[in-house]
Amino acid sequence: MNEQRRQILEMLAAGKITADEAERLIAALERGGNGAGASVTAGKPAPRYLRVIVDKAEDMGGDTMTKVNIRVPLQLLRAGVRLAGLIPKDARAHVDEALRERGIAFDLSQLKPENVEELIRQLNDLTVDVDSAHGLVKVSVFCE
Amino acid sequence: MIPMFAVIRLEGRRRRFSFYLPLFLIWLLLLPFVLLALPIVLLATLLFGLRPLRLVGAGYGLLASARGTHVEVQHPHTNVLMHVY
Repeated sequence: MNEQRRQILEMLAAGKITADEAERLIAALERGGNGAGASVTAGKPAPRYLRVIVDKAEDMGGDTMTKVNIRVPLQLLRAGVRLAGLIPKDARAHVDEALRERGIAFDLSQLKPENVEELIRQLNDLTVDVDSAHGLVKVSVFCE
Repeated sequence: MIPMFAVIRLEGRRRRFSFYLPLFLIWLLLLPFVLLALPIVLLATLLFGLRPLRLVGAGYGLLASARGTHVEVQHPHTNVLMHVY
């Protein structure tokens, strides 16, 4: 593994590859080892569900916190986007305006199935720690 | 395939309720109403310049993709669970 990493760095130093390419190659090495990372990622089954879990980040003593565990099929997300695509232009403008009034600058016409796929790809494993009255709360959003 | 069953579980301090909803029976009951509403939907889609088949397809897709939805909220004294099969 170290030898391969050294080779990548040598290629970068020689200017044969760019820094981005080197970074991707190293990331692939770390994922799969022996350069098989990319194929491992490609062979990974497509995620089917979006999970949202709200739990305690650490045991604060007592058990007063509300825990949430939600699993939504990604197909539902895709179907919703397809349905949103059928909204007439006039109605879409009204929705955009209503969202803007509530401080959400969002263009509904930009919501396309390919954007959702990109979002799903990027949403690998997102964890947000929220400091609340019940202590540190961990909000995890990920696809599985 | 559209969802056929749903489970709703409510758990309080003393009592616990579980509902097993046979959704397929609800779909069967709703079918005559859907058929009655179809001409109105068709008219509305034509009025708003929508493609009725795409709309019906997208609506069915939305319903069918609801299978596997799981919502669970645990509170110290109350638990709520819903699962769509």
